Amino acid sequence: MNKAVATVGRDLGRILEALGGLMLISLAVPIVWGEYFVLPALLVSALVPLGLGWLLYHRFKGAESPSRFHGMIVAASGWFSVGVFGSLPFLLIAWSVQLGVPGFTTPAQTATLAAFTEPLNAVFESMSGFTGTGLTMTDNEEVLPRTLQWWRTFTEWIGGVGVIVLTTAILSRPGSGSLTLYESEARSEKIHPSIVSTVRTIWWIFILFTFTSILVLWLAGMPIWGAINHGMTGLATGGFSITDNSIATYDSVAIDFVLIPIMLLGSIAFPIHYLILQGDLRNFYSDLQTRWVFGYMGIGSALLWAFLYFAGPYETPFSALRYGLFQFVSAATCTGFQTAVDATNVALGRWPSYAQLTVTFGMFVGGAAGSTAGGIKLIRGLTLAKGIRHQIADVFYPESAVRRLEINGRRLNEEEASREFMEAAIIVVLWITFLVVGTFLLLLTLPSGEYSLANVLFEVASAQGNVGLSSGITGPDSLPTIGKIAFLFHMWIGRLEIIPVLVMLRTIFKRGGFYQ
Amino acid sequence: MRSRDIPVVSAVAEAGADDRIFDSLLLVGPLVIGMIVVLGRSPVTEAVAIAYIAAFVVYTLYRGVQT
Repeated sequence: MNKAVATVGRDLGRILEALGGLMLISLAVPIVWGEYFVLPALLVSALVPLGLGWLLYHRFKGAESPSRFHGMIVAASGWFSVGVFGSLPFLLIAWSVQLGVPGFTTPAQTATLAAFTEPLNAVFESMSGFTGTGLTMTDNEEVLPRTLQWWRTFTEWIGGVGVIVLTTAILSRPGSGSLTLYESEARSEKIHPSIVSTVRTIWWIFILFTFTSILVLWLAGMPIWGAINHGMTGLATGGFSITDNSIATYDSVAIDFVLIPIMLLGSIAFPIHYLILQGDLRNFYSDLQTRWVFGYMGIGSALLWAFLYFAGPYETPFSALRYGLFQFVSAATCTGFQTAVDATNVALGRWPSYAQLTVTFGMFVGGAAGSTAGGIKLIRGLTLAKGIRHQIADVFYPESAVRRLEINGRRLNEEEASREFMEAAIIVVLWITFLVVGTFLLLLTLPSGEYSLANVLFEVASAQGNVGLSSGITGPDSLPTIGKIAFLFHMWIGRLEIIPVLVMLRTIFKRGGFYQ
Repeated sequence: MRSRDIPVVSAVAEAGADDRIFDSLLLVGPLVIGMIVVLGRSPVTEAVAIAYIAAFVVYTLYRGVQT
Protein backbone atom coordinates (compact mmCIF):
# COMPACT_ATOMS: atom_id res chain seq x y z
CA MET A 1 0.00 0.00 0.00
CA ASN A 2 1.22 3.49 -0.87
CA LYS A 3 2.70 5.12 2.27
CA ALA A 4 1.14 8.49 1.52
CA VAL A 5 -2.33 6.96 1.17
CA ALA A 6 -1.89 5.17 4.50
CA THR A 7 -0.79 8.31 6.35
CA VAL A 8 -3.50 10.47 4.82
CA GLY A 9 -6.13 7.74 5.31
CA ARG A 10 -5.27 7.33 8.99
CA ASP A 11 -5.51 11.07 9.77
CA LEU A 12 -8.58 11.55 7.59
CA GLY A 13 -10.17 8.73 9.58
CA ARG A 14 -9.50 10.61 12.81
CA ILE A 15 -11.09 13.77 11.41
CA LEU A 16 -14.19 11.86 10.29
CA GLU A 17 -14.47 10.20 13.71
CA ALA A 18 -14.37 13.65 15.32
CA LEU A 19 -17.09 14.86 12.93
CA GLY A 20 -19.29 11.89 13.81
CA GLY A 21 -18.73 12.67 17.48
CA LEU A 22 -19.91 16.25 16.96
CA MET A 23 -23.13 14.96 15.41
CA LEU A 24 -23.67 12.55 18.29
CA ILE A 25 -23.27 15.44 20.77
CA SER A 26 -25.85 17.37 18.75
CA LEU A 27 -28.44 14.64 19.40
CA ALA A 28 -29.09 16.44 22.71
CA VAL A 29 -30.64 19.39 20.85
CA PRO A 30 -33.65 17.59 19.28
CA ILE A 31 -34.24 15.84 22.59
CA VAL A 32 -34.31 19.16 24.50
CA TRP A 33 -36.50 20.86 21.87
CA GLY A 34 -38.77 17.84 21.33
CA GLU A 35 -37.87 17.53 17.64
CA TYR A 36 -37.85 13.74 17.76
CA PHE A 37 -38.47 13.41 14.01
CA VAL A 38 -34.86 14.47 13.31
CA LEU A 39 -33.33 11.82 15.57
CA PRO A 40 -33.11 8.99 12.96
CA ALA A 41 -31.65 11.36 10.34
CA LEU A 42 -29.11 12.85 12.74
CA LEU A 43 -28.13 9.42 14.05
CA VAL A 44 -27.54 8.07 10.53
CA SER A 45 -25.64 11.28 9.68
CA ALA A 46 -23.34 10.62 12.66
CA LEU A 47 -22.85 6.92 12.00
CA VAL A 48 -21.71 7.36 8.39
CA PRO A 49 -18.57 9.48 9.09
CA LEU A 50 -18.01 7.66 12.37
CA GLY A 51 -18.01 4.26 10.66
CA LEU A 52 -15.94 5.39 7.70
CA GLY A 53 -13.50 7.16 10.01
CA TRP A 54 -13.19 4.09 12.22
CA LEU A 55 -12.49 1.89 9.19
CA LEU A 56 -9.86 4.26 7.80
CA TYR A 57 -8.17 4.74 11.15
CA HIS A 58 -7.99 1.03 11.97
CA ARG A 59 -6.96 0.07 8.43
CA PHE A 60 -4.01 2.49 8.48
CA LYS A 61 -3.29 2.65 12.21
CA GLY A 62 0.40 1.88 11.84
CA ALA A 63 1.05 4.50 9.15
CA GLU A 64 4.03 6.83 9.39
CA SER A 65 3.82 10.35 10.84
CA PRO A 66 2.78 12.94 8.26
CA SER A 67 5.39 15.03 6.47
CA ARG A 68 4.63 18.58 5.35
CA PHE A 69 3.30 17.22 2.06
CA HIS A 70 1.01 14.73 3.83
CA GLY A 71 -0.13 17.43 6.24
CA MET A 72 -1.31 19.61 3.39
CA ILE A 73 -3.16 16.72 1.74
CA VAL A 74 -4.79 15.79 5.07
CA ALA A 75 -5.84 19.40 5.67
CA ALA A 76 -7.27 19.85 2.17
CA SER A 77 -8.99 16.46 1.97
CA GLY A 78 -10.08 16.65 5.62
CA TRP A 79 -11.82 19.99 5.17
CA PHE A 80 -13.40 18.82 1.93
CA SER A 81 -14.65 15.61 3.57
CA VAL A 82 -15.98 17.51 6.56
CA GLY A 83 -17.86 19.79 4.18
CA VAL A 84 -19.35 16.82 2.35
CA PHE A 85 -20.22 14.60 5.34
CA GLY A 86 -21.30 17.62 7.40
CA SER A 87 -24.06 18.12 4.84
CA LEU A 88 -25.78 14.87 5.84
CA PRO A 89 -27.89 16.39 8.65
CA PHE A 90 -29.22 19.05 6.22
CA LEU A 91 -29.92 16.51 3.50
CA LEU A 92 -31.41 13.74 5.63
CA ILE A 93 -33.51 16.00 7.87
CA ALA A 94 -34.90 17.80 4.82
CA TRP A 95 -35.83 14.44 3.26
CA SER A 96 -37.22 13.19 6.59
CA VAL A 97 -39.66 16.08 6.61
CA GLN A 98 -40.34 15.70 2.90
CA LEU A 99 -41.20 12.00 3.08
CA GLY A 100 -42.24 11.69 6.73
CA VAL A 101 -40.67 9.40 9.32
CA PRO A 102 -42.72 6.34 10.32
CA GLY A 103 -43.58 6.49 14.01
CA PHE A 104 -42.75 10.19 14.36
CA THR A 105 -44.86 13.31 13.86
CA THR A 106 -43.16 15.52 11.29
CA PRO A 107 -43.94 19.20 10.69
CA ALA A 108 -45.06 20.54 7.31
CA GLN A 109 -42.32 21.01 4.74
CA THR A 110 -41.16 24.60 4.18
CA ALA A 111 -39.56 26.08 1.07
CA THR A 112 -36.46 26.89 3.16
CA LEU A 113 -35.96 23.32 4.36
CA ALA A 114 -36.94 21.85 0.99
CA ALA A 115 -33.91 23.61 -0.53
CA PHE A 116 -31.72 21.12 1.35
CA THR A 117 -33.25 18.15 -0.45
CA GLU A 118 -30.83 19.22 -3.19
CA PRO A 119 -27.46 17.69 -2.20
CA LEU A 120 -25.50 20.64 -3.64
CA ASN A 121 -27.38 23.10 -1.41
CA ALA A 122 -26.72 20.90 1.63
CA VAL A 123 -23.00 20.64 0.85
CA PHE A 124 -22.87 24.41 0.25
CA GLU A 125 -24.42 25.10 3.67
CA SER A 126 -22.07 22.66 5.38
CA MET A 127 -18.94 24.01 3.68
CA SER A 128 -20.08 27.56 4.40
CA GLY A 129 -20.50 26.63 8.06
CA PHE A 130 -17.24 24.78 8.62
CA THR A 131 -15.18 27.37 6.75
CA GLY A 132 -16.84 30.10 8.82
CA THR A 133 -18.17 31.83 5.73
CA GLY A 134 -21.84 32.26 6.52
CA LEU A 135 -23.26 32.51 2.99
CA THR A 136 -26.44 30.51 3.06
CA MET A 137 -28.83 28.50 0.92
CA THR A 138 -31.74 29.30 3.27
CA ASP A 139 -34.41 31.88 2.54
CA ASN A 140 -35.60 32.15 6.12
CA GLU A 141 -33.53 30.64 8.91
CA GLU A 142 -36.32 31.15 11.45
CA VAL A 143 -38.40 28.30 10.02
CA LEU A 144 -35.60 25.74 10.15
CA PRO A 145 -35.86 23.06 12.85
CA ARG A 146 -33.91 24.10 15.96
CA THR A 147 -31.63 21.14 15.38
CA LEU A 148 -30.51 22.51 12.02
CA GLN A 149 -30.20 26.01 13.45
CA TRP A 150 -27.88 24.49 16.05
CA TRP A 151 -25.95 22.38 13.51
CA ARG A 152 -25.27 25.46 11.39
CA THR A 153 -24.03 27.32 14.46
CA PHE A 154 -21.98 24.38 15.70
CA THR A 155 -20.24 23.91 12.33
CA GLU A 156 -19.13 27.54 12.40
CA TRP A 157 -18.04 27.39 16.01
CA ILE A 158 -15.91 24.29 15.42
CA GLY A 159 -14.66 25.50 12.04
CA GLY A 160 -13.62 28.86 13.49
CA VAL A 161 -10.92 27.25 15.57
CA GLY A 162 -10.31 24.43 13.12
CA VAL A 163 -11.27 20.84 12.48
CA ILE A 164 -7.69 19.65 12.88
CA VAL A 165 -7.25 21.70 16.06
CA LEU A 166 -10.33 19.91 17.41
CA THR A 167 -9.09 16.50 16.33
CA THR A 168 -5.67 17.16 17.85
CA ALA A 169 -7.25 18.30 21.12
CA ILE A 170 -9.54 15.33 21.66
CA LEU A 171 -7.83 12.53 19.76
CA SER A 172 -4.34 13.77 20.43
CA ARG A 173 -1.25 11.99 19.31
CA PRO A 174 2.01 13.31 20.71
CA GLY A 175 4.93 13.91 18.38
CA SER A 176 5.81 15.93 15.33
CA GLY A 177 2.82 14.64 13.31
CA SER A 178 0.37 16.80 15.25
CA LEU A 179 2.49 19.90 14.65
CA THR A 180 2.63 19.23 10.91
CA LEU A 181 -1.14 18.85 10.70
CA TYR A 182 -1.68 21.92 12.88
CA GLU A 183 0.49 24.06 10.60
CA SER A 184 -1.31 22.78 7.52
CA GLU A 185 -4.55 24.28 8.77
CA ALA A 186 -3.31 27.83 8.30
CA ARG A 187 -1.94 28.06 11.86
CA SER A 188 1.60 28.50 13.07
CA GLU A 189 1.35 30.14 16.48
CA LYS A 190 2.27 28.18 19.59
CA ILE A 191 1.26 29.00 23.14
CA HIS A 192 3.14 26.13 24.78
CA PRO A 193 6.06 24.02 23.51
CA SER A 194 3.68 21.06 23.12
CA ILE A 195 1.20 21.33 20.28
CA VAL A 196 -1.40 19.27 22.15
CA SER A 197 -1.20 21.68 25.12
CA THR A 198 -1.42 24.61 22.71
CA VAL A 199 -4.63 23.41 21.08
CA ARG A 200 -6.19 22.61 24.44
CA THR A 201 -5.42 26.13 25.65
CA ILE A 202 -6.91 27.55 22.44
CA TRP A 203 -10.13 25.67 23.19
CA TRP A 204 -10.04 26.80 26.82
CA ILE A 205 -9.85 30.45 25.72
CA PHE A 206 -12.48 29.97 23.03
CA ILE A 207 -14.99 28.30 25.37
CA LEU A 208 -14.51 30.93 28.10
CA PHE A 209 -15.04 33.74 25.58
CA THR A 210 -18.08 31.94 24.17
CA PHE A 211 -19.84 31.89 27.55
CA THR A 212 -19.01 35.56 28.07
CA SER A 213 -20.30 36.48 24.60
CA ILE A 214 -23.57 34.60 25.12
CA LEU A 215 -24.23 36.32 28.44
CA VAL A 216 -23.38 39.79 27.12
CA LEU A 217 -25.74 39.34 24.17
CA TRP A 218 -28.50 38.09 26.45
CA LEU A 219 -28.04 41.09 28.73
CA ALA A 220 -28.26 43.36 25.68
CA GLY A 221 -31.75 42.02 25.09
CA MET A 222 -31.36 39.04 22.77
CA PRO A 223 -33.45 35.96 23.64
CA ILE A 224 -31.28 33.18 25.08
CA TRP A 225 -31.53 30.84 22.04
CA GLY A 226 -30.46 33.71 19.81
CA ALA A 227 -27.71 34.68 22.26
CA ILE A 228 -26.32 31.13 22.31
CA ASN A 229 -26.28 30.88 18.52
CA HIS A 230 -25.08 34.41 17.74
CA GLY A 231 -22.55 34.36 20.58
CA MET A 232 -21.01 31.22 19.10
CA THR A 233 -21.06 32.34 15.47
CA GLY A 234 -20.01 35.91 16.34
CA LEU A 235 -16.95 34.84 18.30
CA ALA A 236 -16.07 32.27 15.63
CA THR A 237 -16.40 35.12 13.08
CA GLY A 238 -18.74 32.83 11.15
CA GLY A 239 -21.88 34.89 10.75
CA PHE A 240 -24.68 32.34 10.47
CA SER A 241 -27.85 33.63 12.06
CA ILE A 242 -31.05 31.98 13.22
CA THR A 243 -33.17 34.88 12.04
CA ASP A 244 -34.32 35.90 8.58
CA ASN A 245 -32.55 39.26 8.47
CA SER A 246 -29.44 38.38 10.45
CA ILE A 247 -28.79 40.84 13.30
CA ALA A 248 -31.05 43.45 11.67
CA THR A 249 -34.00 41.34 12.86
CA TYR A 250 -33.46 42.62 16.40
CA ASP A 251 -33.10 46.25 15.20
CA SER A 252 -31.40 47.02 18.51
CA VAL A 253 -28.60 49.57 18.97
CA ALA A 254 -27.46 47.76 22.13
CA ILE A 255 -27.13 44.39 20.36
CA ASP A 256 -25.32 46.00 17.41
CA PHE A 257 -22.74 47.63 19.66
CA VAL A 258 -22.30 44.59 21.92
CA LEU A 259 -21.52 42.41 18.92
CA ILE A 260 -18.67 44.66 17.79
CA PRO A 261 -16.24 43.68 20.62
CA ILE A 262 -17.31 40.04 20.26
CA MET A 263 -16.36 40.03 16.58
CA LEU A 264 -13.12 41.89 17.39
CA LEU A 265 -12.24 39.26 20.01
CA GLY A 266 -12.58 36.61 17.31
CA SER A 267 -10.18 38.45 15.03
CA ILE A 268 -7.34 38.66 17.57
CA ALA A 269 -4.79 35.83 17.66
CA PHE A 270 -5.19 33.23 20.43
CA PRO A 271 -1.64 33.61 21.83
CA ILE A 272 -2.39 37.30 22.40
CA HIS A 273 -5.60 36.41 24.23
CA TYR A 274 -3.59 34.06 26.39
CA LEU A 275 -1.06 36.75 27.28
CA ILE A 276 -3.83 39.27 28.00
CA LEU A 277 -5.60 36.79 30.30
CA GLN A 278 -2.29 36.37 32.10
CA GLY A 279 -2.31 40.10 32.78
CA ASP A 280 -0.10 41.36 29.96
CA LEU A 281 -2.51 44.01 28.66
CA ARG A 282 0.31 45.76 26.79
CA ASN A 283 -0.27 43.28 23.96
CA PHE A 284 -3.30 45.32 22.90
CA TYR A 285 -0.85 47.84 21.46
CA SER A 286 2.58 46.14 21.53
CA ASP A 287 1.54 43.32 19.20
CA LEU A 288 1.62 44.54 15.62
CA GLN A 289 -1.43 42.64 14.39
CA THR A 290 -3.59 43.47 17.42
CA ARG A 291 -2.67 47.15 17.14
CA TRP A 292 -3.68 47.06 13.51
CA VAL A 293 -6.92 45.20 14.22
CA PHE A 294 -8.03 48.33 16.02
CA GLY A 295 -6.17 50.81 13.80
CA TYR A 296 -7.29 49.57 10.44
CA MET A 297 -10.82 48.84 11.56
CA GLY A 298 -11.02 52.34 13.02
CA ILE A 299 -9.78 53.93 9.79
CA GLY A 300 -11.99 51.72 7.59
CA SER A 301 -15.08 52.38 9.70
CA ALA A 302 -14.44 56.15 9.69
CA LEU A 303 -14.07 56.11 5.92
CA LEU A 304 -17.24 54.08 5.47
CA TRP A 305 -19.10 56.35 7.87
CA ALA A 306 -18.05 59.37 5.79
CA PHE A 307 -19.21 57.67 2.54
CA LEU A 308 -22.53 56.65 4.06
CA TYR A 309 -23.28 59.98 5.69
CA PHE A 310 -21.97 62.61 3.27
CA ALA A 311 -22.74 60.85 0.01
CA GLY A 312 -24.77 57.83 0.93
CA PRO A 313 -28.14 56.64 2.05
CA TYR A 314 -28.17 57.65 5.74
CA GLU A 315 -29.50 60.98 6.88
CA THR A 316 -28.17 61.18 10.43
CA PRO A 317 -24.52 60.85 11.57
CA PHE A 318 -25.56 58.26 14.14
CA SER A 319 -27.30 56.00 11.59
CA ALA A 320 -24.25 56.16 9.34
CA LEU A 321 -22.03 55.35 12.33
CA ARG A 322 -24.23 52.52 13.56
CA TYR A 323 -24.47 50.72 10.22
CA GLY A 324 -21.06 51.73 8.83
CA LEU A 325 -19.10 50.71 11.93
CA PHE A 326 -20.97 47.42 12.32
CA GLN A 327 -20.68 46.44 8.67
CA PHE A 328 -17.01 47.31 8.37
CA VAL A 329 -16.11 45.40 11.54
CA SER A 330 -18.34 42.52 10.43
CA ALA A 331 -16.56 42.44 7.06
CA ALA A 332 -12.99 42.97 8.23
CA THR A 333 -13.30 40.40 11.02
CA CYS A 334 -14.84 38.13 8.35
CA THR A 335 -17.93 37.53 10.47
CA GLY A 336 -20.64 38.47 7.99
CA PHE A 337 -23.44 39.55 10.32
CA GLN A 338 -25.66 41.99 8.53
CA THR A 339 -27.52 44.98 9.92
CA ALA A 340 -27.82 46.84 6.63
CA VAL A 341 -30.93 45.26 5.10
CA ASP A 342 -33.94 46.80 3.41
CA ALA A 343 -36.31 45.69 6.18
CA THR A 344 -34.88 48.23 8.63
CA ASN A 345 -32.67 50.61 6.60
CA VAL A 346 -30.74 50.26 3.30
CA ALA A 347 -29.42 46.89 2.08
CA LEU A 348 -25.68 46.54 1.56
CA GLY A 349 -26.20 45.64 -2.08
CA ARG A 350 -27.84 49.05 -2.60
CA TRP A 351 -25.09 51.07 -0.94
CA PRO A 352 -23.02 53.24 -3.32
CA SER A 353 -20.33 51.25 -5.19
CA TYR A 354 -17.45 52.95 -3.37
CA ALA A 355 -19.02 52.05 -0.01
CA GLN A 356 -19.39 48.43 -1.15
CA LEU A 357 -15.77 48.41 -2.33
CA THR A 358 -14.61 49.76 1.05
CA VAL A 359 -16.35 46.81 2.69
CA THR A 360 -14.82 44.50 0.05
CA PHE A 361 -11.36 45.79 0.97
CA GLY A 362 -12.08 44.92 4.61
CA MET A 363 -13.03 41.38 3.58
CA PHE A 364 -9.87 41.07 1.49
CA VAL A 365 -7.49 42.01 4.32
CA GLY A 366 -9.32 40.19 7.14
CA GLY A 367 -8.15 39.84 10.76
CA ALA A 368 -5.04 38.61 12.54
CA ALA A 369 -3.25 35.40 11.61
CA GLY A 370 -3.83 32.87 14.39
CA SER A 371 -7.38 34.08 15.00
CA THR A 372 -10.69 32.76 13.67
CA ALA A 373 -10.83 35.42 10.93
CA GLY A 374 -10.30 34.94 7.18
CA GLY A 375 -8.98 37.14 4.37
CA ILE A 376 -5.28 37.39 3.49
CA LYS A 377 -4.62 38.26 7.17
CA LEU A 378 -3.25 41.49 8.58
CA ILE A 379 0.30 40.25 9.03
CA ARG A 380 0.59 39.49 5.31
CA GLY A 381 -0.75 42.90 4.36
CA LEU A 382 1.68 44.54 6.77
CA THR A 383 4.59 42.38 5.58
CA LEU A 384 3.86 43.38 2.01
CA ALA A 385 3.51 47.09 2.85
CA LYS A 386 6.69 47.17 4.95
CA GLY A 387 8.55 45.03 2.39
CA ILE A 388 7.63 47.35 -0.48
CA ARG A 389 8.69 50.39 1.56
CA HIS A 390 11.95 48.62 2.42
CA GLN A 391 12.65 47.85 -1.25
CA ILE A 392 11.93 51.40 -2.38
CA ALA A 393 14.03 52.94 0.41
CA ASP A 394 16.90 50.65 -0.59
CA VAL A 395 17.63 52.91 -3.55
CA PHE A 396 18.57 55.76 -1.18
CA TYR A 397 21.23 53.75 0.70
CA PRO A 398 24.75 52.84 -0.47
CA GLU A 399 25.09 49.28 -1.79
CA SER A 400 27.31 48.33 1.14
CA ALA A 401 24.67 49.34 3.71
CA VAL A 402 23.39 46.51 5.93
CA ARG A 403 19.69 47.01 6.40
CA ARG A 404 17.14 45.10 8.46
CA LEU A 405 13.41 44.81 7.98
CA GLU A 406 11.57 45.05 11.29
CA ILE A 407 8.23 43.22 11.55
CA ASN A 408 6.43 42.78 14.87
CA GLY A 409 9.59 43.25 16.95
CA ARG A 410 11.64 40.86 14.81
CA ARG A 411 14.64 42.27 12.91
CA LEU A 412 14.96 40.29 9.69
CA ASN A 413 18.15 40.11 7.64
CA GLU A 414 18.08 40.36 3.86
CA GLU A 415 17.44 36.63 3.30
CA GLU A 416 14.73 36.33 5.97
CA ALA A 417 13.02 39.50 4.80
CA SER A 418 13.07 38.30 1.22
CA ARG A 419 11.57 34.91 2.21
CA GLU A 420 8.77 36.38 4.30
CA PHE A 421 8.00 38.98 1.65
CA MET A 422 7.87 36.27 -1.00
CA GLU A 423 5.55 34.04 1.07
CA ALA A 424 3.15 36.92 1.70
CA ALA A 425 3.28 37.98 -1.95
CA ILE A 426 2.50 34.46 -3.21
CA ILE A 427 -0.63 34.20 -1.05
CA VAL A 428 -1.81 37.67 -2.02
CA VAL A 429 -1.22 37.08 -5.73
CA LEU A 430 -3.04 33.73 -5.60
CA TRP A 431 -5.86 35.30 -3.59
CA ILE A 432 -6.34 38.09 -6.14
CA THR A 433 -6.04 35.66 -9.06
CA PHE A 434 -8.81 33.42 -7.75
CA LEU A 435 -10.88 36.49 -6.89
CA VAL A 436 -10.63 37.76 -10.46
CA VAL A 437 -11.31 34.33 -12.00
CA GLY A 438 -14.31 33.81 -9.69
CA THR A 439 -15.69 37.26 -10.51
CA PHE A 440 -15.31 36.61 -14.23
CA LEU A 441 -17.03 33.21 -13.94
CA LEU A 442 -19.93 34.63 -11.95
CA LEU A 443 -20.39 37.52 -14.36
CA LEU A 444 -20.65 34.95 -17.16
CA THR A 445 -23.24 32.80 -15.40
CA LEU A 446 -25.49 35.41 -13.77
CA PRO A 447 -28.35 36.95 -15.76
CA SER A 448 -26.88 39.98 -17.54
CA GLY A 449 -27.70 43.38 -16.13
CA GLU A 450 -29.10 42.09 -12.84
CA TYR A 451 -26.01 42.68 -10.72
CA SER A 452 -23.25 45.28 -10.97
CA LEU A 453 -19.53 44.48 -11.07
CA ALA A 454 -19.26 45.83 -7.50
CA ASN A 455 -22.02 43.39 -6.41
CA VAL A 456 -20.25 40.40 -8.00
CA LEU A 457 -16.78 41.33 -6.74
CA PHE A 458 -18.28 41.83 -3.28
CA GLU A 459 -19.93 38.39 -3.30
CA VAL A 460 -16.83 36.50 -4.49
CA ALA A 461 -14.58 38.32 -1.99
CA SER A 462 -17.12 37.43 0.68
CA ALA A 463 -16.98 33.73 -0.20
CA GLN A 464 -13.21 33.57 -0.55
CA GLY A 465 -12.57 35.69 2.54
CA ASN A 466 -14.94 33.40 4.50
CA VAL A 467 -17.01 36.43 5.40
CA GLY A 468 -20.63 35.74 4.44
CA LEU A 469 -21.94 39.23 3.71
CA SER A 470 -24.12 39.16 0.65
CA SER A 471 -25.05 41.71 -1.97
CA GLY A 472 -28.07 39.53 -2.70
CA ILE A 473 -26.59 37.06 -5.18
CA THR A 474 -26.29 33.96 -2.97
CA GLY A 475 -29.45 31.95 -2.54
CA PRO A 476 -30.86 28.55 -3.52
CA ASP A 477 -32.47 29.95 -6.67
CA SER A 478 -30.53 33.16 -7.38
CA LEU A 479 -27.07 31.57 -7.53
CA PRO A 480 -26.61 29.30 -10.59
CA THR A 481 -25.24 25.77 -10.10
CA ILE A 482 -21.84 26.74 -11.53
CA GLY A 483 -21.75 29.64 -9.10
CA LYS A 484 -22.50 27.32 -6.16
CA ILE A 485 -19.70 24.95 -7.18
CA ALA A 486 -17.31 27.87 -7.68
CA PHE A 487 -18.23 29.29 -4.26
CA LEU A 488 -17.61 25.88 -2.65
CA PHE A 489 -14.10 26.06 -4.08
CA HIS A 490 -13.61 29.70 -2.99
CA MET A 491 -14.71 28.92 0.59
CA TRP A 492 -12.47 25.87 0.74
CA ILE A 493 -9.30 27.59 -0.54
CA GLY A 494 -10.05 30.70 1.53
CA ARG A 495 -10.15 28.73 4.78
CA LEU A 496 -6.90 26.85 4.10
CA GLU A 497 -5.08 29.83 2.57
CA ILE A 498 -5.01 28.25 -0.90
CA ILE A 499 -1.68 26.36 -0.93
CA PRO A 500 -2.81 23.02 0.64
CA VAL A 501 -5.71 22.78 -1.81
CA LEU A 502 -3.41 23.41 -4.78
CA VAL A 503 -0.95 20.81 -3.46
CA MET A 504 -3.77 18.26 -3.19
CA LEU A 505 -5.16 19.02 -6.64
CA ARG A 506 -1.70 18.83 -8.18
CA THR A 507 -1.15 15.46 -6.51
CA ILE A 508 -4.48 14.13 -7.78
CA PHE A 509 -3.90 15.39 -11.31
CA LYS A 510 -0.30 14.16 -11.39
CA ARG A 511 -1.04 10.70 -10.03
CA GLY A 512 -4.17 10.47 -12.12
CA GLY A 513 -2.03 11.08 -15.20
CA PHE A 514 -4.00 14.15 -16.22
CA TYR A 515 -0.97 16.11 -17.41
CA GLN A 516 1.61 13.58 -18.32
CA MET B 1 -10.68 14.07 47.12
CA ARG B 2 -9.62 17.50 45.90
CA SER B 3 -11.68 19.45 43.35
CA ARG B 4 -8.81 19.19 40.85
CA ASP B 5 -9.15 15.40 40.92
CA ILE B 6 -12.59 15.61 39.24
CA PRO B 7 -12.03 14.79 35.52
CA VAL B 8 -13.68 17.89 33.99
CA VAL B 9 -12.12 20.23 36.54
CA SER B 10 -8.65 18.76 36.06
CA ALA B 11 -8.95 19.00 32.24
CA VAL B 12 -9.98 22.67 32.51
CA ALA B 13 -7.24 23.46 35.01
CA GLU B 14 -4.56 21.79 32.89
CA ALA B 15 -5.63 23.50 29.66
CA GLY B 16 -6.12 26.99 31.04
CA ALA B 17 -4.09 30.01 32.02
CA ASP B 18 -3.08 28.63 35.43
CA ASP B 19 -5.65 30.81 37.11
CA ARG B 20 -8.37 29.61 39.46
CA ILE B 21 -10.73 32.52 38.80
CA PHE B 22 -10.76 32.05 35.03
CA ASP B 23 -11.01 28.28 35.45
CA SER B 24 -13.97 28.79 37.79
CA LEU B 25 -15.65 31.17 35.34
CA LEU B 26 -15.29 28.58 32.60
CA LEU B 27 -16.76 25.85 34.78
CA VAL B 28 -19.61 28.04 36.06
CA GLY B 29 -20.48 29.41 32.58
CA PRO B 30 -22.69 26.48 31.48
CA LEU B 31 -24.49 26.54 34.82
CA VAL B 32 -25.31 30.25 34.45
CA ILE B 33 -26.55 29.77 30.89
CA GLY B 34 -28.51 26.68 31.93
CA MET B 35 -30.12 28.66 34.74
CA ILE B 36 -31.17 31.36 32.26
CA VAL B 37 -32.61 28.73 29.90
CA VAL B 38 -34.67 27.21 32.72
CA LEU B 39 -35.71 30.34 34.66
CA GLY B 40 -35.88 32.85 31.80
CA ARG B 41 -35.28 36.58 32.13
CA SER B 42 -35.74 37.81 35.72
CA PRO B 43 -33.95 40.22 38.06
CA VAL B 44 -32.14 37.26 39.63
CA THR B 45 -30.85 35.76 36.38
CA GLU B 46 -29.89 39.22 35.10
CA ALA B 47 -27.97 39.89 38.33
CA VAL B 48 -26.13 36.58 37.99
CA ALA B 49 -25.22 37.31 34.35
CA ILE B 50 -24.03 40.81 35.26
CA ALA B 51 -21.96 39.38 38.11
CA TYR B 52 -20.37 36.87 35.70
CA ILE B 53 -19.44 39.52 33.14
CA ALA B 54 -18.25 41.93 35.83
CA ALA B 55 -16.07 39.24 37.40
CA PHE B 56 -14.51 38.48 34.02
CA VAL B 57 -13.83 42.11 33.06
CA VAL B 58 -12.73 43.35 36.48
CA TYR B 59 -10.47 40.37 37.10
CA THR B 60 -8.82 40.72 33.66
CA LEU B 61 -8.13 44.40 34.39
CA TYR B 62 -6.96 43.58 37.92
CA ARG B 63 -4.44 41.08 36.56
CA GLY B 64 -3.30 43.68 34.05
CA VAL B 65 -2.72 46.27 36.75
CA GLN B 66 -0.91 43.76 38.96
CA THR B 67 1.48 42.57 36.26
